[in-house]
Amino acid sequence: MYLLEFCKMLDKSAIGTAIRESSLLFPVIEGVHVLALALSVGLILITDLRLIGVVLRKRPVSEVWEQFFPWMMAGFAVMFTTGFLLFWSHAMAAYNSMAFRVKLLLLILSAANAAVYHLTVYRKMDRWDTALIPPAGARLAGWVSLIFWAGIITMGRIMAYTF
Amino acid sequence: MATIFPFFEWCEKTALFRVISTHESLFPALETLHLFGLVLLLGTTVILCLRLLGVIMAKQPVPELAGELANYTASGLALMLSSGALMFVATAVRNYSNTSFWVKMMFLAAALIFHFAYFRKVIRMDDLGMARWHGKLAAWGALILWFGVALSGRSIGFLG
Repeated sequence: MYLLEFCKMLDKSAIGTAIRESSLLFPVIEGVHVLALALSVGLILITDLRLIGVVLRKRPVSEVWEQFFPWMMAGFAVMFTTGFLLFWSHAMAAYNSMAFRVKLLLLILSAANAAVYHLTVYRKMDRWDTALIPPAGARLAGWVSLIFWAGIITMGRIMAYTF
Repeated sequence: MATIFPFFEWCEKTALFRVISTHESLFPALETLHLFGLVLLLGTTVILCLRLLGVIMAKQPVPELAGELANYTASGLALMLSSGALMFVATAVRNYSNTSFWVKMMFLAAALIFHFAYFRKVIRMDDLGMARWHGKLAAWGALILWFGVALSGRSIGFLG
């Protein structure tokens, strides 16, 4: 199977082996991965809570989004880079881990949730931007995102036990 | 420190220790809750620090933003301290000889004192009445101390 071959190749590669066997590299990359949670998921959390209509209600949704966006992206850039390096070093363990599969699935689903939100409610944002409580579609996108991210963190934590 | 070692031993004789160590899934569950708390506490702290440094939400007064986020910061702190205390009880004796644990406790004590004695006062100050260096000091101090707690905490399991 293609995916299996790819994981085997990563696992055996010099870089993968170097990270896995280094007593300092792996902990440092993982430490950065956990710390960047504050910036990535931390900002997602407050953005979702604004969509649900419970925080920063006096500020337009678009303003909260624009102000947070560059920092959120910086956080996610760090998350994906460090996450990929961690995967690289344990590709076979990850391949065989149910928690890792669920984590990936939840990441894809939260991207889909964001895409659906951007293609639907977000397009009519000029009508509800300043609403204290955004419309049902936006609130739903906020809740779904919160639940998925809670799941992603949980799966990430469980997954580490299988390595 | 020899005088407080009996406390660490006593922790492992409690019913709480037995419960956490006999249920395999409890410790990972506590770690997960600890991470949820981190997202709440550090997420809101990072937002406030960026605001104090003047890089985001410049239109919103600091005390107003602080008031909006206060409940989430407090919930995050409560979640972290309670899940952290339970994990401590479950690994007390191992923690005693773990350098990272003691470094984390130093950072935690400093971060808590800084937060309650200074940071919280600065974020409630009126923008106009606040000297700019207060904002910068509060922001950098909080970032360094809380990330110090997180990093040394992460190394408890790795470096010992």
